[in-house]
Amino acid sequence: MQLTGKTKGVCIVLALLTIVGIGCWVFQLMGGLGITGMSNVNSWGLYICMFMLFVGLSAGGLIVASSAHVFGIESFKTIAKPAVILSTVCICVAAAFILVDLGGVQRIWRLFTGPNFTSPLMWDVCIILIYLIINILDLVWMGKGADDKVRKLSYVALPVAILVHSVTAWIFGLQIARAWYTAIMAPIFVASALDSGLALLLLALMLLDKMGLVKLEDGLVASLAKLLATFIAVDAFFILCEVLTMAYPGAGEAAALSQMFSGATAPFFWFEVVGGLLVPFVILAVAKNREKRGMVALASVLVVLGVAAKRAWLLLTSFIMPNVAGGPGITTGTLSAQTGNATSMWATVGTYAPTIPEVFIAIGVISLGALAFVLLCVKLMGGDSRAAVDEAVQPA
Amino acid sequence: MTKMALVINQERCIGCQACALSCKMSNNVPDGMMWNRVISVDTNHIDGARGTYPNVTREYLPIACQHCEDPACMKVCPTGATYKDASGRVLIDYDKCIGCRMCMAACPYNARVFNWNEPVRQVGFNYGDKDVPVRPRGVMEKCTLCHERCDRGEEPMCVVNCPMRARVYGDLDDPNSEASKAARAADAYVLLPEMGTKPQVHYVK
Ligand code: SF4
Ligand code: SF4
Repeated sequence: MQLTGKTKGVCIVLALLTIVGIGCWVFQLMGGLGITGMSNVNSWGLYICMFMLFVGLSAGGLIVASSAHVFGIESFKTIAKPAVILSTVCICVAAAFILVDLGGVQRIWRLFTGPNFTSPLMWDVCIILIYLIINILDLVWMGKGADDKVRKLSYVALPVAILVHSVTAWIFGLQIARAWYTAIMAPIFVASALDSGLALLLLALMLLDKMGLVKLEDGLVASLAKLLATFIAVDAFFILCEVLTMAYPGAGEAAALSQMFSGATAPFFWFEVVGGLLVPFVILAVAKNREKRGMVALASVLVVLGVAAKRAWLLLTSFIMPNVAGGPGITTGTLSAQTGNATSMWATVGTYAPTIPEVFIAIGVISLGALAFVLLCVKLMGGDSRAAVDEAVQPA
Repeated sequence: MTKMALVINQERCIGCQACALSCKMSNNVPDGMMWNRVISVDTNHIDGARGTYPNVTREYLPIACQHCEDPACMKVCPTGATYKDASGRVLIDYDKCIGCRMCMAACPYNARVFNWNEPVRQVGFNYGDKDVPVRPRGVMEKCTLCHERCDRGEEPMCVVNCPMRARVYGDLDDPNSEASKAARAADAYVLLPEMGTKPQVHYVK
């Protein structure tokens, strides 16, 4: 199958953005992470937010594809292939965000020569590698039509998919020094992964349908949309549990909570609650809306943006208030501190804003992912004519 | 076992910052960061006071790595770059550090500093102890209890240079050491015991 003119145009734009991103990354490799907005106080930023987001986004695909087999949901089988492609691309994007975040990426082989298995990051490296292998095997076997193998793999894929999100959550949730320290972190990550992942899958499917690569039944959209509404509700419930538990005792965590409610991370928090949970849920709760693709697409975009906002407040709130507070504070170690700006050398609270090269690196990584997704879909599914897709709808 | 530690007497501390600067000098700490700081607790300023005039108090707290017995930073380090040596000091093997900053998020005391940029020094050359290794860009660093000095039989530079003798260095596992006696005193305490890191650095108020 040939790329249509429009697709080609989009691909060229994505490729250009990727090149700009790579350029900025080279700049970062030369100058160090000091070109980002991070500091000794707020030591993780946009890259780690995006890492969390994309680990989550990759959930939708593999979970829907595996559920098709594990729970015998026939209608899901038709979209299994694009779903797994999406999942593979997203997990690669997530891994790329870890790579750009490392200060000493040239020493990364140390992970394999001296692994420390008490580190949740080490667990994450292992589980992401396993997850990636499963995704690739799934794709290869689907391509060969090895249905039995795909079915068997699904039984492994589903629990591994849940684990990927839990382990990613534990990178944060096991750190007693921060407000992240809560048992509900893993469930929250799984819930956000389910809703944002499914939302992205819906968007991707609608796009592929427009491109003529997949034939998407209206009924399937409606039923996936219903599932999405359920996932949103679960996500909202977990967040309510967490916020209430933080607020009720009024001690310790209340400081972090006030940052979320009315402080620096409040815009993200409230956007998520209203724009990412409430509005899409209300949209999708109405059966009529679930029939309209435009409405489903709108709700899906909101859910993805809402979860992106959640990554920001979840990550950054914990860096605002140091545990041992006192003037003049913590030394920031930033570029401007280094060049002799005494006021930026010290900070009593954590602040963070991404810099322009940092944003371009993030856009570059995402563009590369999007480009890979489009090209992989065209390559792996372009051969299937609509008729072949239609055929797959019939249970074998 | 040996458990080297500092015991810092806040009653004696006058907030002169001599320890902070000695540390910076001795360990060739680059511009823009410090391993050791003297903060005025619950205020936003150096030498700040807490409360409203005339009911004000001031509490100086010299703070650096607490050389925890159960270090949160070491547990989360994926490459084992952060480790505990035979003398109970928490150290970093700079060659192994991949700059992931897990440890920075894990440390409850904000004790760690990162080489975000190519490290520079205003004077234009490396200074301090000849045995202290120079750290490259992209690695984590923090107080080492001056292990290079101490392994030669000297004391940490902050201890030597404190004009108020507010800092005592010694082995907590040796019941007769000055440090272990001070750490056992009724008014001795550790920072944030609820974090479960069991700091070896003790404070006396
Ligand atoms: S104070 Fe922080 S850096 Fe030092 S040993 Fe304890 S947890 Fe690690
Ligand atoms: S930044 Fe270095 S010392 Fe810290 S956890 Fe990562 S590898 Fe270990």
